[in-house]
Parts: sequence; structure tokens; C-alpha cells
Amino acid sequence: MEINEILKTLSNLNGPSGYEEKVITYIKEVAEKIPNTEASIDKQGSLMVKKSGQGKKIALFAHADEIGFVITKKEFGNYYRIHTFGGIDPKVIISQRLKIHTKNGTSYGVIGMLEPHLQTEELKNKVLSFDDLFLDVVEGAENVNIGDLATFSSEAFDLGEKYITGKALDNRASCVALLYTLELLNQFIIKSEPYFVFSIREEDGMSSAANVAFNLKPDLAIVLDVTHGDIYRPSYPKIETGKGPVLTVGTMIDHKYFEILKDCAEKNSVPYQIEPAGSHSHTDTDEIQITREGIPTLLVSIPLRYMHTPYEVVNLQDIKETARLLTNFIAVGGE
Amino acid sequence: MYIKELTNIDGVSGFEEKVREFIKEKIQDKVDHIKEDTIGNLIAFKKGQTDKRLMLSAHMDEVGFIVSNIEEDGKLSIIPLGSIDPRTVFGKKVLVGEKQIPGVIGSKPIHLMDSLEKVTSFENIKVDIGATKKQEVELKVKIGDSVSFAPNTMIHQGWISGKALDDRGGCSILMDLIDLNINPYYDTYFSFVVQEETGLRGSGPASFQINPDFAIVIETTTSGDNPEFPEDRRSTELGKGPAITPAHRGYVNDEKLFNFAVKIALENQIPYQIKRRTVGGTDAQRIAITTGTPALVISIPSRYIHSPMSVLNIKDYENTLKLLSILITKEVK
Repeated sequence: MEINEILKTLSNLNGPSGYEEKVITYIKEVAEKIPNTEASIDKQGSLMVKKSGQGKKIALFAHADEIGFVITKKEFGNYYRIHTFGGIDPKVIISQRLKIHTKNGTSYGVIGMLEPHLQTEELKNKVLSFDDLFLDVVEGAENVNIGDLATFSSEAFDLGEKYITGKALDNRASCVALLYTLELLNQFIIKSEPYFVFSIREEDGMSSAANVAFNLKPDLAIVLDVTHGDIYRPSYPKIETGKGPVLTVGTMIDHKYFEILKDCAEKNSVPYQIEPAGSHSHTDTDEIQITREGIPTLLVSIPLRYMHTPYEVVNLQDIKETARLLTNFIAVGGE
Repeated sequence: MYIKELTNIDGVSGFEEKVREFIKEKIQDKVDHIKEDTIGNLIAFKKGQTDKRLMLSAHMDEVGFIVSNIEEDGKLSIIPLGSIDPRTVFGKKVLVGEKQIPGVIGSKPIHLMDSLEKVTSFENIKVDIGATKKQEVELKVKIGDSVSFAPNTMIHQGWISGKALDDRGGCSILMDLIDLNINPYYDTYFSFVVQEETGLRGSGPASFQINPDFAIVIETTTSGDNPEFPEDRRSTELGKGPAITPAHRGYVNDEKLFNFAVKIALENQIPYQIKRRTVGGTDAQRIAITTGTPALVISIPSRYIHSPMSVLNIKDYENTLKLLSILITKEVK
């Protein structure tokens, strides 16, 4: 599997929360090319890929949506106001071109920044919020309506030899890790009953993953997401890209399965890192854990730089090692 | 119009070779004489009907950066060439050095901020080329290498968006004027100059060599016609035609040339506007200082210049071209 190319394709596809169809369709196509898989899309729009095996029901989750913007107001001319879902620093959208997904196709707008020549001292020193920014629609303004969604327009590319950069690698990197796991599993007799879920609506806070978990009733849920890599955080261990998957410890994590997963990493020489989470992991794990009478949950993360910006950065080796860990864990039945 | 090709070439101040080569290749067979000078300017000549000399000038360089240090973690520190608002560079793709190594300017995730953070200076802004160690980077990048915003231009219905419109827009106008094969009134020097953004440097030597009787600088200029800026503070408005500058920082434009340009616009019913602010200098000042030449600036009004995503209006471009195409056939009076 060309994980590099698949990741770049997935990054370039647009699927803000609630509008993931193109992303889900592409993942389904890739999954269906892998022998011994069975894919279906539920009524909400999440994709589930089943792999045959016998043993515990293990469900793996990766959300396929991405952060985005909503057109909120029209000003004079072709100027519009926007707001965000998913948590975006206003600073990273300045001087970006956005793709606006209208009912009549793609329009383009740019977030303009007043020329330094004309800036007052006050503006020069201002920390800008969404209230200070505006979208200048330079193409297809006639099609833009309040409520239309927009996404970054950055195109993914190879950053050096080891890294990929682009938008929405949160969480398409995890989607690729799951697809790669599906492929790797073909080399094993699977002693569990694994389900691979590509869920929607994580970034807007709705967590369709929890709905899927409710219907599926797995014995164990493993959530894949991304975490902050290569940045110093006071009171936290330094998580680095290129050093393997990150295993979360915390209140949302099942202790017994955590030890099994860690042992599995050690047994198979998969490098791993440990990251603590406090009250919340801010992933679908938090919701899945309290589904039905409670579902044992694990969280495995891929370290990533510059989360929620137009150019997030991941190390391909981390995706491969994550898949290798999951493959070995699932193949032996999570025991 | 050559804006798309021109803006997609990287040519930050001091690194204009590729822009110069592109322009030279396109125009060399269409002019009477062409030369590159010591500092890197490209000067093309077309014979006129009198011996007096007119200099038309646009700058080839764009704002950007050079690598100022390679950090232990493999990131590149940068210092700006020209005036760039640090808030406009986050989450952008850049190209580093002659090999055009792609990189990104990263930003601290919002999740790790207590409140939105102020951007104070370029000291806190790094370029990531996908390395983790200084030694890896030193094989490919050296201190002093150029860093430019990656090509991003799109031509839309009526609008253009992208980097480096300042002043490839002006370069494109000069190239179009050459393509129109106009018989100019004066001996006309089409001057494509270097290093405007770092202190109006190339135009001095160009003017010294040409020693023109008149000079017109073709620029892209500021506007401010957006919902966040008070209407009475705007400098120009897009869609209202070329901007003719009466005075700007460091130089009151020549009165006779100013009146002449306005007259040509009126006589030919070309929409025009008078630039309403004096902020920002241009090569007109340098030319006037160097050779004492009366000079005037005519600009394509633009939004968000000096950022990786600027905007201009195609009608304004066309009207700027139209005004100049008539103007250069006339005697200044």
C-alpha cells in the first residue's frame, strides 16, 4: 500500500464535520481493494470495514472529518465574515485562500490582511480574533450563502524524506494507519473479530464514533487520533515525531488492556511513547468509554506538528509503526 | 498579461535572476536593445520619435526572507527582506534556496495556548523543512539562502489572487506595453529593477545609466477598501482604475507629469483615481534623487500586498495598461 500517496490524497480531499462524504467514499474504495474486507456505510455516514476473524470484538476508530469554517455574514461587496469549528487560531488563517463549498460548486476567498503601510500602531499590535478578520471572495461570490462551509486550500506534499505536510492530517493520518493495518492483517490468522470504523463529526464535538460503538457493542474500542509532537509542554513528557505511536494513560483508558497493548509493543519491538491525559483526552475516546454500560477504551495517537493549521506535519514511520502495533495486537486477539 | 507566470517565479530582493531571465527571454526579440547591468537590472530600449528619454520602471523583486540561522532542532530562522507583517506568514508553504526546498512555517497549536498569543517578531517564527537535526539541514541549506512564499497565484473571473503581485503586476504591464509594439514618442527605456523592497536600490543605478528626462514608475499600491478599515482612511479602491500618485513618502511627484497623466485619462475616458494616502515610498523617489528626473507613480490598486496572498482587479490592470499605452505615444505637456 502506497501510504504516502494515500495520505496526500486524503489530505487534499475536503470533509469538514458533517460533510465527509468524499473522504469516506475514497477510504471505502481503498479498503475494498484489500482482500478479505467487507465495507459498509451507516445511516449517519460513518464507514465500517469488517475483517473476518474469531475472538473478541475489537473496534478501531479514526475520525475522517476535518476542522473548517462557516460563512456567517455578508458585508458590502464580496466581503463575508466567517467563524470556525474545531478550534482554529485566527492567526493561521490570515493570508490564506479558503475553498468555499457552495451548493453550486467551489468558490474561493482569501482572508486579507491590511497592508503594513496602512496599519495603525493599534492594529500592528493587536491580537486578531475572528471578529477582526474577513473573507474576500474572489471567485464565485454569486454562489456563496450564509451557512456554507469552507476549508483550507493547502495541498499536501513531501516535507524532506520522512515527513508529509498538509491539511487535515488530523485525523487522516490515523485513517491511513487503519487502512495499512487492514492490509498487514492479511499476513495473520486473526484471533479477534476486528472492525475498522472511519467515523464522522469529531471536530464539531458530536462524536458519531460513539453512535457506532453503541450499535456495535465491542469488547474493546481503540481510538486512533493525533497528538502534539515536537513541542515543549510544561509538566508533560516530550512527545516526538519519528519515535513511534503514543499510548495514552488516564481516566479514559482501560488499565488491563493498556498493559496488554504496551507488552505487545515491546514484544514486537514497536517503539512507543507514553502520554498522560487528565480529565479529558479531547478525542472520541471520552464519548465511547461511557457508551451503553461502558466500553473498555484505549487511545493510540500519532504525533503531529502544528495541529489545526493548513500545514500539519507527520512522520510516515510513525504511521507504519502504529499500524504494526495494532496489527500484532489484533492478530493475537488483544490478549 | 504575464502575471501568473511572473508571480509563480521566486525572486525575493537580491535573488531576482529567474524573474530577469523570464522577462528577458520574452522581450529580447521585441525591443531595439537590451542589457543587464552590474546590480542586476534589466533595461530594454525602444527608439522613439525624439531624442529625449522616458524611463518606465517596475521592480522585479518581491518581499521574502533569507535564512539567518540553522537551529539545533533542524528548523530555520529567517529575517525578512522588505516589510512583512509577521501575522501573515503562519501556515504557509515556502521555498528555500536555489534548490527550492519546500518548507512550511509552523505555528504553535491553539490547544496549547492559554489565550491567543501575540506575535512580536520574526525571532519566534521558524521554517520547517522536515528535518530534526542541524547536521541534516546543513547539507542542503546555508545561512543567507533565500526563502520565498511558494507559488499560489490563481486568475479568477475579474480578480487575481496570489503572492508577489507587488510588483510583478508592474512588470507585466511593461511586458504588455512591449508586446503592443507601440511607437513611443520618446526614446523609451523599459527598466526592470532589483531590490525595491529593501530600500529602493536597483532604480538608482538604472536611472544613472539611462539619465532620463522623465520617469514613470509602474507599481501596485495599497488600498484598504475592506470592512475593517474606515472608508476615509483608504488609499485607493479596487475597480476604480489606475491610481495616480500626487505625493508619497520622500517625494512629491512631478506636477507636470501628474497633470499630464490625469489629462490623458480624462481625454480617453479611462477611469482613474488619485491616491489618497502618502504612506509608502517607491522608486520614483530614488530616480528623482539620482538623476534629478521628474518622476510619477502610476499604480494598479491592490489589496493585502506584502503578504503571501494579495489581490488585484483585472479591469484595473487593463485600464492601467490602456492609460500607459496612450501616454507613451504623447509629448509631455
